[in-house]
Amino acid sequence: MRESSTPVIADPDPILIAKNVTKHYGERIGCEDVSFSLWPGEVLGIVGESGSGKSTLLRCLAGIDRPTSGEILFRHEGEPISLFNIPEPTRRKLMRTEWGIVHQNPRDGLRMDVSAGGNVGERLMDRGDRHYGKIRRSAMEWLTRVEINEDRIDDRPRQFSGGMQQRLQIARVLVPEPRLVFMDEPTGGLDVSVQARLLDLLRVLVRDLGIAAVIVTHDLAVARLLTDRLMVMKGGYVVEEGLTDQVLDDPHHAYTQLLTSAVLAA
Amino acid sequence: MTTMLKAEGLTKQFVLHHQDSVTLPVFAEVSFSVDQSEAVILHGPSGVGKSTLLRILYGNYRPSKGHVHIRHGQDFIDIVTATPRRVLEARRKSIGFVSQFLRVIPRVKTIEIVKDPMLARGVSDAEATHRARDMLARLNLPERLWTLAPSTFSGGEQQRVNIARSFVDPSPILLLDEPTASLDAANRDVVVELIAEARQRGSAIIGIFHDEAVRDRVATRRLDLTTYKAAA
Repeated sequence: MRESSTPVIADPDPILIAKNVTKHYGERIGCEDVSFSLWPGEVLGIVGESGSGKSTLLRCLAGIDRPTSGEILFRHEGEPISLFNIPEPTRRKLMRTEWGIVHQNPRDGLRMDVSAGGNVGERLMDRGDRHYGKIRRSAMEWLTRVEINEDRIDDRPRQFSGGMQQRLQIARVLVPEPRLVFMDEPTGGLDVSVQARLLDLLRVLVRDLGIAAVIVTHDLAVARLLTDRLMVMKGGYVVEEGLTDQVLDDPHHAYTQLLTSAVLAA
Repeated sequence: MTTMLKAEGLTKQFVLHHQDSVTLPVFAEVSFSVDQSEAVILHGPSGVGKSTLLRILYGNYRPSKGHVHIRHGQDFIDIVTATPRRVLEARRKSIGFVSQFLRVIPRVKTIEIVKDPMLARGVSDAEATHRARDMLARLNLPERLWTLAPSTFSGGEQQRVNIARSFVDPSPILLLDEPTASLDAANRDVVVELIAEARQRGSAIIGIFHDEAVRDRVATRRLDLTTYKAAA
């Protein structure tokens, strides 16, 4: 028997690498010295209470905010590119085509004055599709996939319920077939029954499309259901990380023990 | 004989930071190995750490010290030091954990739950459906329940869904934590048969059974954890 673990499958390259990512707001720490690698098909959860730095970290990873120091590498056409060392327009183009962001508030991710079909179809046009009939058909398929009835295709998002708006946002994000998706509290602000539907949908979509995802949540049940790995943040620092079930079932850090013991069993 | 799992010097203590940082030692220096087609039953009174050991073997708990080498194809993976993605890969193909509790996912149908591990291993949908149906029937779960999500099922029904899922295509290493706990005699017999069949196919079994009769029918060997009890 070999003493050490030996690779049994060839490892593909990570799609996202964070190296010592640090974000300060003046004197205040947003997040401090965060490093990790994310592989295709993997779902990473970031948990922690409000103010723990999880959203700050997500904004850096997603290319929205420039970190104070550290580096974020995204693999594009086989080459790692440093997210904040490329021209702004190139970064914007990547953000549009290679990855997607699901915001907690669907209003931040949707065009509220454009029809549901338009919200989805617009992304197909970004990708270069020009044929109207094809775009509409494809938009229709996506609406069905996120369980929005076809006869709502010409309605505007403001006529939708919160849960429907969130599902529409997810369709809009996934349409261009991104390789990496960031989600900030994707089920926050929704009723529990609506949450369950959305969670199941996300779980299936992530699995079927094989995309990598980073999900920020304060809900440990959401983390357990959707993520493979977990990082626990407190005061801007990652205090514990590992396999999701390991971190939740055998927490070692004092703060993680506090988090997991504070959950009421339903 | 082919070694399937080798535990080396496993030691576990829990540190409870919010309860006066009390340290609970469980066991120390547990070492053993399990071959293909063996069924090792963990033995010892309640609190000796049987479930804790089983969870460490699966990578669910982290030991304070020691290693768990499990066979993964032609190689061995140390579940303690392997990266999370490697552990998940091993769980998909090489090691399975069966408890008496089913972790219910909202809205997912019983038949899909049973098919899921087969699909993850690349079995065709038609084949997976066929085998899932056979297994659910064998465990006497009424057919009208197959297309429902098990959230509303009784404890015994949920447990049978869990067993169907785990035994429909048994992993080369199977960890069993009281899989027969709330089953009636007929279904208990089915589980004992399933375990025997998995062994015949070469699976290595490590399990906890409180039912003395079941234990005697399943075990090829006992591992008494009392001897490893850590000094408090």
